Amino acid sequence: MTIEHTHEHEQLMRASLDHCVKCTICETQCPVAAVTPLFPGPKFVGPQAERYRHGLSVDHSIDYCSSCGTCTLVCPQGVHIAELNSLARGAMKQQNNMPFRDQIISRTTLMGAVMTPVAPVANWALGVKPIRVIAEKVIGLHRNAPMPTAHTQTLQGWVKRRGASAPAKPGSRGKIIYFHGCAANYFELETGQKTIEVLEHLGYEVIVPKQGCCGLPLQSNGLFDAARKYVRKLVADLRTGGKDIPIVSASTSCGSMLKREAEEILGVADPELADVGGRMVDIMELLLKLHDEGTLPEDFAPMDVTLPYHPPCQLKSHGIGVPATEVLELIPGVKIKESGVACCGMAGTYGIKKEKYDVAMAVGKPLFDMVLETNKELALCDSETCRWQIETATGVRTVHPITIIHKAYGLS
Amino acid sequence: MRDAVVIGAGFSGLVTAIRLAKAGRTVTLLTKGIGGIQLGQGTIDIFGYNPDRVTDPLAAVDAITDGGHPYAHFSGTEVAAAVRYLAELLPDVFVGDPARNVLLPTAVGALRPTALVPTSMAAGEVTDGKKYLIVGLARLKDFYPGLVAENLGRTPLPGGGSVTARAVTVDFVAREGEADSTGLNHARALDDPDNRRKLVALVKPHLAEGEVVGLPAVLGIHDTAAWTDIQTQLGVPVFEIPLPPPGVPGMRINEALTRLAKDAGVRVIVGNRVVDHAADGTTLTGVVVNSAGSKTGHAAKAVVIATGGFESGNLHMDSYGTVTEKTFGLPLANAEAPLVHGDYWGADQPLFKVGVAVDDAMRVVGSDGAPVFGNLYAAGGILAGATRWREKSGEGIALASAVRAADSILGEAR
Repeated sequence: MTIEHTHEHEQLMRASLDHCVKCTICETQCPVAAVTPLFPGPKFVGPQAERYRHGLSVDHSIDYCSSCGTCTLVCPQGVHIAELNSLARGAMKQQNNMPFRDQIISRTTLMGAVMTPVAPVANWALGVKPIRVIAEKVIGLHRNAPMPTAHTQTLQGWVKRRGASAPAKPGSRGKIIYFHGCAANYFELETGQKTIEVLEHLGYEVIVPKQGCCGLPLQSNGLFDAARKYVRKLVADLRTGGKDIPIVSASTSCGSMLKREAEEILGVADPELADVGGRMVDIMELLLKLHDEGTLPEDFAPMDVTLPYHPPCQLKSHGIGVPATEVLELIPGVKIKESGVACCGMAGTYGIKKEKYDVAMAVGKPLFDMVLETNKELALCDSETCRWQIETATGVRTVHPITIIHKAYGLS
Repeated sequence: MRDAVVIGAGFSGLVTAIRLAKAGRTVTLLTKGIGGIQLGQGTIDIFGYNPDRVTDPLAAVDAITDGGHPYAHFSGTEVAAAVRYLAELLPDVFVGDPARNVLLPTAVGALRPTALVPTSMAAGEVTDGKKYLIVGLARLKDFYPGLVAENLGRTPLPGGGSVTARAVTVDFVAREGEADSTGLNHARALDDPDNRRKLVALVKPHLAEGEVVGLPAVLGIHDTAAWTDIQTQLGVPVFEIPLPPPGVPGMRINEALTRLAKDAGVRVIVGNRVVDHAADGTTLTGVVVNSAGSKTGHAAKAVVIATGGFESGNLHMDSYGTVTEKTFGLPLANAEAPLVHGDYWGADQPLFKVGVAVDDAMRVVGSDGAPVFGNLYAAGGILAGATRWREKSGEGIALASAVRAADSILGEAR
């Protein structure tokens, strides 16, 4: 078994290794290495270990990388540390046989499709301790890890059946395609509904093409071939929404997959992907852009509240800064306290694995403390699995920032 | 349209951005990654060698005769004001007088001149007759107390006199099960008061009358009370000795300044390079970053380039010896070959003086002295004409040019 660097982009990733000056800035910022000696740090398993791999995996510690991407973000030399480590981990998993668990949890659409028709039963089962203990022993899903809540309806179903709540006439700002991702479709309809309603309130005509999973969970678990199939299918799905129409997402990790990761990690060089990635905009990025242009309606209802907000790792990798903080503080009375923490620990599916759960909770601890100190009722975060992690760890309801905008516009 | 875009997040970029934002300007700070502050010592060097060791750095600034040196644009008083501006931004972090260099022991026991020092390093100042106990931590492999103590003890002080120093090593467990913990993990451990008590208990039996205690600079990272707590418990003056990068004292300063920038309203965007710019004649209208998926334009009335030089990769030398400035393709001063000579221990390599030339307003100028763009300013390590590592002038140049660039922008906006 060898690591195949068949794609031009993978070669480019490897070439970036030469830019590493061993300054160790990545090591100082890695949230996993900070809490466990099991992970020696991104430079150690990346630019350093890569020299010894020669196509083969040389150690198992790389499995403890959570793929949060902080190392790449903070690298002042432009080394694609996280991407290289994802590639090396993929090779390591191929070499050492993929656990069955990683095959299941990385197929979010499958989980959603199975759970939605039997939502009450699925939710009940995931809430029953003995069942979770068995799941931990048999497949290695930690018994206390957050699990999504299934709904009896999908977002796609809601869009089809909403009828009267849909706007009567097309908006004045033109069309926009909404990429909802699996989580909003199956597990967090509220985020999807509120995103659509805010966009419509702003005057957009929202198109919601039928769409599948971006393949990110597969990629994080090293299943690159399957991930490529998923992302190519999704790109085709989104392109059915129309040419040159902007695509908006409220799911930062799935948005980042289309903007960046499918190309940089999976080596997908299709022009169709570049087209979709180039049109992709995060919902809060869009609102800040409208504000900068002076076209965002700012007739927000005042709210006297201080809210803890965690910008997720995958949002930071967009290279757009932290737009939610500025947008939310346009609401009179709203004060946002940014977490200042690199990661919540969950990092997609990392924190639900039996052997990683304690690490993930230790990574998230400063964030959980900060949330509890700031507001015991409500916290904000742009990414789904991070919200589930924060909510499960702290008991504080955690929602997407769009929920607050929705309320401030008087839509809820 | 922002009032200013600042590129780079070291001392010069952060201080320019903070000064502009505090004056009410809208500022976006673009940075490829974390800036270089944590790769430094955590001290503010103004002028250490010119070429001999300098005692009054401000007088040395005033005495500059080389018109191509960054300090040629400043008086000593102006440099002092810029350094004090930083000290006021970070109250209780630094002590010292910009007009007086102190000598601090390095991690190899050499004497290094610097001006402002973190409060946690002040007790290390080398003075005649001082007695040092240098404490090593067995699991921290970047610090050899014997090397520090022996070199300190055998070095005659400038102007005469000497110090005495001895070394001990204690086995402090920074992280259970680890024989080789990083400096940063030691610092994280010492954020915990329990661990500080353990360290104090290990060091206390070694104390002797009249000594100051030198420890590697790992005395806490987030808990600003860590050093004072250890000093109080030991009951003697305690000081930190900076280690090779990543330097914990620099990390503390970097985190504090970055937080200050965000609190002042600076829009900080990390993770992407500036790859292009837009201009209307000789006026820049904005810059373009390669954000994920698509390039993003950042329109601005003024742009400050504070990228640093070769260290950040913004100055690049190819295999033919040609140096280019990667962000804007700016004209470079001192870039004529030969830039590197083969005498490793000989004279300074000319390479280090390559950079952009500026006018007194910190506007980037071409070889004819005319501004390249009327609204493009430069600050910090990208400025031509100084060999910072030898002069020990990096922070002083960064701060003076940052304050000047910001004030030029503020002045023109008035």
